[in-house]
Amino acid sequence: MKRFLTPLAAGVLALSLAACGSDSDDEPKSADGSVTTIADGKLTVCADVPYPPFEDFDKSSPTGFKGYDIDIVQEVADHLDLELVVRDADFNSLQGGLEFATNKCDLGASAMTITEKREEKITFSDPYYESMQSLLVPEGSDIKSIDDLDGKKVGVQKGTTGESYANDNATGAKIVIFPSDGEMWPALKGGQVDALLQDLPVNVEHEKAGGYTIVEEYATDESYGLAMKKDSPLAAKVNEALDAIRESGRYQEIYDSYFSAK
Amino acid sequence: MTKKNRQRLTRGAMYALFVVVLIALATTADWESIRTNFFDEAVWKDLWPDLILVAAWNTIKYTALSFAGALALALVLALMRMSPVAPYRWLATLFIETFRGLPALVVIILLAFGVPLAFGYNWPEIGWLGLSSNTTGGILALILVGSAYMAETLRAGIQAVPKGQAEAARSLGMSAPRTMVTVVLPQAVRVVIPPMTNEFVLLLKDTALLSVIGMQAVERDLLAFGQNGLTTYANSSPLMAVAIVYLLIAIPITQLVAWMERRQQKAR
Repeated sequence: MKRFLTPLAAGVLALSLAACGSDSDDEPKSADGSVTTIADGKLTVCADVPYPPFEDFDKSSPTGFKGYDIDIVQEVADHLDLELVVRDADFNSLQGGLEFATNKCDLGASAMTITEKREEKITFSDPYYESMQSLLVPEGSDIKSIDDLDGKKVGVQKGTTGESYANDNATGAKIVIFPSDGEMWPALKGGQVDALLQDLPVNVEHEKAGGYTIVEEYATDESYGLAMKKDSPLAAKVNEALDAIRESGRYQEIYDSYFSAK
Repeated sequence: MTKKNRQRLTRGAMYALFVVVLIALATTADWESIRTNFFDEAVWKDLWPDLILVAAWNTIKYTALSFAGALALALVLALMRMSPVAPYRWLATLFIETFRGLPALVVIILLAFGVPLAFGYNWPEIGWLGLSSNTTGGILALILVGSAYMAETLRAGIQAVPKGQAEAARSLGMSAPRTMVTVVLPQAVRVVIPPMTNEFVLLLKDTALLSVIGMQAVERDLLAFGQNGLTTYANSSPLMAVAIVYLLIAIPITQLVAWMERRQQKAR
């Protein structure tokens, strides 16, 4: 009997120890003013890739990723004196806060609009991008504005501000919900939808490809923020970094390199 | 200590271990965080009644359509596979190998996006079933994939019927098709019921893939509905609600089939 019970007792002990252990180190703390992140000396940033031009894969870059969001967090990481690590994540688990609550990422940088609902679960940095929506149609289409969408099919992305904008403003339109631009774009080319309503920069990319044109742009009074664990002490550091980047002019440089050369 | 006593003690210790591990897990889990993230009552209430009237209904509809279509096509494929005419066998083998080897997601995208892009042909909208043209294409894809699996299951079932049965029927003067329909197939059905139940459940969950080709709000299946809730509420509770509904659909059906099977075994 004893032979059997000893490993059992040891097992239970180990289990309870492990449970205690995990509690002590899950909050980044900064006793000496430096930042504590989930991996020592590294800033782990999660993004739902690809979503050009905000995030995309890039074999030639040291992180393996490129894009507006990546450039911004690279600056933040440099400012905090941390090495940038980028991880591909699912947008749903990012915006629901699961990635942060389970300590898989320090920051979420994924073209994420700051909303009240999301703020219940995660803490956002100060805005780093003002989002615009836009309507893309094939050249020569008789859709000239959002009012012409009555009875037409318009593609939107699941769970995005584009979807809610279409729901609120595209009266009479048949709103078709896609998981991402990767499916919406072939659907527009194949004629299964008549228009796409989504973030301006994504549609700009399609317009550049030719054959399609943006007929309207919409200001939504919404902006993107970097996401992190609820009430994370990291927020203050990130905001400091964002301020510094703005003051140094580097922010404008990055912004212009993606969004001004239309 | 007698051998019997020792056995009894060992077994007791096993139960004790099981209980201790359960208690250890239960006390170390963060229940409050599980509750607010996965079982938020306010969110669950909000999902009602669309969870059943739209999402569950669509999932059942897509599953039923693709299962029925796949079963019919699978029977044809299985018979072709066993045909004495060689080109039929080749064709069936090629079809089965192709669609069994491809991920369902790829077939769905190929049919729903590839065909319209390549040929400018859009699948028909089936209004009375509430299927838009993409969904029709997607269900066709599920039928192709499902039938490839089912054809092999059916063939195994048909071949499991002893040859003597067919020979006896033929010697009584039955035609070959008649023999197949009245003697071989009814016996094959008994054999294939358990694997067919598996195919059904797989198909039930594969309908979730249809959301990649785009869905209007009224077309959402359970998983798309759950994921939509995930983004709306920034909370995983909708996924849990959807998971329970999937179980509520799958378990009664598989239990019904198991009951039918037991009854048949008795009748045998």
